[in-house]
Amino acid sequence: MPNANTIEKRLQIAAALIILGLLVEAVCLVWARPLAFLIFVGIGMLLMFAGIVFYLISLVAPGAGRSQ
Amino acid sequence: MRFAFPGFQFGLSPMTLPTILLILFIAFSAILIGLFVSRPGATVTRGGKITAFLLLFFLPILCATMGLSSELERSKSTAFCLSCHTMELFGRSLYVDDPGHLAAAHFQNHRVPPDNACYTCHSDYAMFGTFKTKLRGLQHVYVYYLTKPPAPENIKLYTPFNNRECLHCHAGARSFEEGAVHNADPDLLPAVKANKISCISSGCHEVVHNVAQLNQVKFWNGAH
Repeated sequence: MPNANTIEKRLQIAAALIILGLLVEAVCLVWARPLAFLIFVGIGMLLMFAGIVFYLISLVAPGAGRSQ
Repeated sequence: MRFAFPGFQFGLSPMTLPTILLILFIAFSAILIGLFVSRPGATVTRGGKITAFLLLFFLPILCATMGLSSELERSKSTAFCLSCHTMELFGRSLYVDDPGHLAAAHFQNHRVPPDNACYTCHSDYAMFGTFKTKLRGLQHVYVYYLTKPPAPENIKLYTPFNNRECLHCHAGARSFEEGAVHNADPDLLPAVKANKISCISSGCHEVVHNVAQLNQVKFWNGAH
């Protein structure tokens, strides 16, 4: 059963993925090349999507509500 | 990278204020998320849980939507299309000093918005037109990076140019509907409107970009 530390760890992983995705998006917006558009969609949005999904999974993971 | 043309430069324009604000917003969001999750026990309280949802779900989606919208808008710009080396001559062809050159005449006389010139003519004015155009853009990227791109003079459209793209603006226009040449043959206009005779077919508006012969033409210096 996950404890509070496990939940926090999951949130931190989700946040790290989202922050990485946001940074990729910011760099792509500055870079402004056709390749940047692809990186924005292919890597930036994928990282953010993974982070959001990881966060949502951590919410419904067994024991998440109780431990918090 | 900037491509110099006579009296004018096509380059990726400096960042606009909305883009700068968006980048700052994204950076601020990243910092906020980082600070929140670095606090031990941040999600213990009810307020913490709501904040976590806003920061880890709502905010990233908001940033991604705004960023994608900005990127899509930028991908329609003339500078974006011409930022590939292969397109350099096509950009140059927009400055040919000859009204018989279709693309140049449209660009120089602002019959198409100069900032979105490529996209205006080369997008489908049909359902999911923008989506199809972006898919073709991905095909361009594939050809450019993963195969040997053809020489500019050998570049062909994937499919024949559809009159629908011309008629989107010209249909109903007096100069088009009542043009002497267009009405010389009563069957011509219906055939053009039905896409049975191409607007750019031989003998009509056949000279479009003509990049193979750009070394034989004069160039306009651009508006000052």
